[in-house]
Amino acid sequence: MFRNVLGKTFRFLGYTVQYGCIAHCAFEYLGGIVVCSGPSMEPTIQNSDIVFSENLSRHFYCIRKGDIVIVKSPNDPKSNICKRVIGLEGDKVCTSNPSDFLKSHSYVPKGHVWLEGDNLRNSTDSRCYGPVPYGLIRGRICFKVYLLYLNYSYINAFLMPGCEALKLTSLTV
Amino acid sequence: MFRNVLGKTFRFLGYTVQYGCIAHCAFEYLGGIVVCSGPSMEPTIQNSDIVFSENLSRHFYCIRKGDIVIVKSPNDPKSNICKRVIGLEGDKVCTSNPSDFLKSHSYVPKGHVWLEGDNLRNSTDSRCYGPVPYGLIRGRICFKIWPLNDFGFLRASPNGHRFLDD
Repeated sequence: MFRNVLGKTFRFLGYTVQYGCIAHCAFEYLGGIVVCSGPSMEPTIQNSDIVFSENLSRHFYCIRKGDIVIVKSPNDPKSNICKRVIGLEGDKVCTSNPSDFLKSHSYVPKGHVWLEGDNLRNSTDSRCYGPVPYGLIRGRICFKVYLLYLNYSYINAFLMPGCEALKLTSLTV
Repeated sequence: MFRNVLGKTFRFLGYTVQYGCIAHCAFEYLGGIVVCSGPSMEPTIQNSDIVFSENLSRHFYCIRKGDIVIVKSPNDPKSNICKRVIGLEGDKVCTSNPSDFLKSHSYVPKGHVWLEGDNLRNSTDSRCYGPVPYGLIRGRICFKIWPLNDFGFLRASPNGHRFLDD
């Protein structure tokens, strides 16, 4: 009787660990749903928007200029931040404020990326903490998930590419 | 006949994916065997030594000053480096060379660590590329496995003078 219960408990734990590992690897290597908070990526991503992030690009080193990425914060390893890649390693980026009289530029060092939020007036990004190592990138946001209420009786989830229609400011080297 | 083979193939693939995921999570969260190469951690870790690294400390934010850690290289995301933690966030570290007349110090910024190799003369570390974000730490080396005459826990830093007390 006791052996039966013990056996069932172990089997249950075994399945939990098994499917927990598979789910973890799915999030780690394929992608997952992310809820964004904060104003630094407006108007592209608003506060409390739900987006889908894919994690394959960073493993294959396919992150491109203009991608919106989720990055482990360089100042706080427990939190993630969401910014746009403005420059890759070797690119020339503008490090001065628009209000400065003299423009200053620098080159993104090897193995790093330069991140900026779309809402330049309300974003702490590489202009504050400098270039961010590529190894901190967790994933690339590719989809915004819209929830549409139809007839108040059911909720339809619509997947729409929400990021490609925007014009990007890019620097020519 | 064909259905049988197809069924067996899918079941085989299913088991491969399943155990691959479990193995990956074991390496990611528990630890694994690592082969070290390079002279920057001599005499503590020699070239081609085999060590065991555990990955729990970094998830629970228990990395301490003096730990030897494996870190994703800030200059090359495809490779890992192995250094000792000399300073945690807020600590004072010496950024000048021993040969300099004037010593210069700085404080490790929030969310970063200061890494140095034990072989100070032959090590590119935070003295070259600056403090490293904590998020790049992969694991903590706790045990040397090979060579057998050096089996056991790793020694303390031979450069105790690099650890500055506030």
